[in-house]
Amino acid sequence: MAARFSVARAARQLTSSATRRQSPFVCQFQRQQVQQRLFTVSAAVREKKYTEDHEWIEAAADGKTFTLGISEYAAHNLGDVVYIELPQVDLEISAGEAIGAVESVKSASDILTPIGGTITEVNSALEEKPGNLNKDPEGESWIAKIAISGEPEGKLMSKEEYTAFTEDA
Amino acid sequence: MAPSRGLLRLLTRPVSSNPNPGSRSMSLLRRAYTSFAEQLANPANRVQSYISHSRDPFVNLSIEDYILRTSPLDSTVLFLYTNRPCVVIGRNQNPWLEVNLGILQAANRQGKTANDTEPPGIGDVDLVRRRSGGGTVFHDEGNLNWSITCPRTEFTRDKHAEMVVRALRKVGVERARVNERHDIVLDQGHRRHPSDPQDTHQTAYTAEEGGPRPLKVSGSAYKLTRARALHHATTLLASPNLHTIPQYLHSPARNSIQAKGVESVSSPVGNIGLDVDKFQQRLQEEFTAMYAHQGKVPSVQMVGEEHLNIPAIRKGYEELKTDDWMWSQTPQFTLLLEDLFGTTIEINVHHGTIQTLETKCDRDLGDMLEELRTALVGEKLQDIGDWVQFLQSRIEPWHSDYEIVADRLEKFLPVPQFGRP
Repeated sequence: MAARFSVARAARQLTSSATRRQSPFVCQFQRQQVQQRLFTVSAAVREKKYTEDHEWIEAAADGKTFTLGISEYAAHNLGDVVYIELPQVDLEISAGEAIGAVESVKSASDILTPIGGTITEVNSALEEKPGNLNKDPEGESWIAKIAISGEPEGKLMSKEEYTAFTEDA
Repeated sequence: MAPSRGLLRLLTRPVSSNPNPGSRSMSLLRRAYTSFAEQLANPANRVQSYISHSRDPFVNLSIEDYILRTSPLDSTVLFLYTNRPCVVIGRNQNPWLEVNLGILQAANRQGKTANDTEPPGIGDVDLVRRRSGGGTVFHDEGNLNWSITCPRTEFTRDKHAEMVVRALRKVGVERARVNERHDIVLDQGHRRHPSDPQDTHQTAYTAEEGGPRPLKVSGSAYKLTRARALHHATTLLASPNLHTIPQYLHSPARNSIQAKGVESVSSPVGNIGLDVDKFQQRLQEEFTAMYAHQGKVPSVQMVGEEHLNIPAIRKGYEELKTDDWMWSQTPQFTLLLEDLFGTTIEINVHHGTIQTLETKCDRDLGDMLEELRTALVGEKLQDIGDWVQFLQSRIEPWHSDYEIVADRLEKFLPVPQFGRP
């Protein structure tokens, strides 16, 4: 598995340096190679999953892009969110890293990602209205979209497992 | 750090855990910092208590973060420290909005900024961005900082503020209580009325609405991780600088910046009037009493600069001191330069970098706007240093209008060059 990650990463690096060289032919050729190597997760993780850090991830239909957010339980637990720090688009991230932060009632908490890859989109509307994170954390108030570079890491739970996990806590 | 300083402190400060401090040697010290890591992480130690002999806010915050990240998940840890004079902003705050940056460095003050007040005369004051949320506070050696790290499941925002109030009341501070913002205040009501002495949220002097405002003596800020919660606060015991604190926390740009993130709520503050050493002992006792049921509380351990030898603490310490953390971590904001050449120039900054520079009402500033854009858009504020010099080196030909802009920027967006040559 590790070998596959590094291939994907090497391929990405190749594309970016190729783009900088501004040769359309080389560029296209490299792109195509990358397209073929884009990572697709196994079917088992395509349904919405929850982490022990109270984030959720859900795969798009292509299995290559994931949406990440925080769970209803977490949003409720944090109290009124007054600020959210989102990652920058194009940022490369590894599983387990903090990709942003939330502040609520004088408390700072990190947003962690269980998947590595590249940030493709962030929910900028949350920067204007951070309080919306309390209203619909598992729907409209998603946090970021990530083009993944490998299988998720750490423990992932189904909705039922996660509910049991939060009840135990 | 200078090891001799740490050693000296140990030799001159009585430590409850060490009846014979004179016998310490460097090799013992070296063993001390490895044993700190081991003791902290030992699952058998469910209740732990530390005190720092360092006055360096960067060292103390890094040790505190290390405690949060490495103490056993079901343990509760008390950590006490006192910092040299410094201004500490919350994780998601804007230093240009919260702090009068121009007066932090005593040596640089002369002629550098338009400072119409008396120089406070405290000497150099550090600026620190902490990892927890909340607002801006001023620390000095008359403040005791206390922090409690506990399991997230047992955490409430008031629990340990209540513990501190109990400790205060036991030494006769009967006006102390926890308020609705999780701060500790001293009630200023004139008349005593009946109240429950066990109620940490009310005192005999709690005034009704419209009565005298309580004085804040301790704030609260938190950092939450998956399994752990850190609550820390700075308690004003005997600060000699109360009269000058407002100058440090009053930014000249406060009316010119529109910022995302967290803005401080300013409150009237007061000293409790207790000796720092005595109160820290009282607090350690209160903590021990509160958690005695959970396990044996080992003697209080001393920590300090020598623990920068622990790689994770060193890393956290260096991170806190980077320009990226201090300046570029600032949430997005817009600076308005009003009444400039009959218009307002709006400068948007995100990730510490100037993103856009516009005039408000499309007034034609000729080449000026374009020159300023070319010189500034894409620049990181932390790399600018002196605004006049920076713009002069970028704009040709230079004229007095640019000087006006540069002076205004120097007043509103200075970046003090801490520790740089």
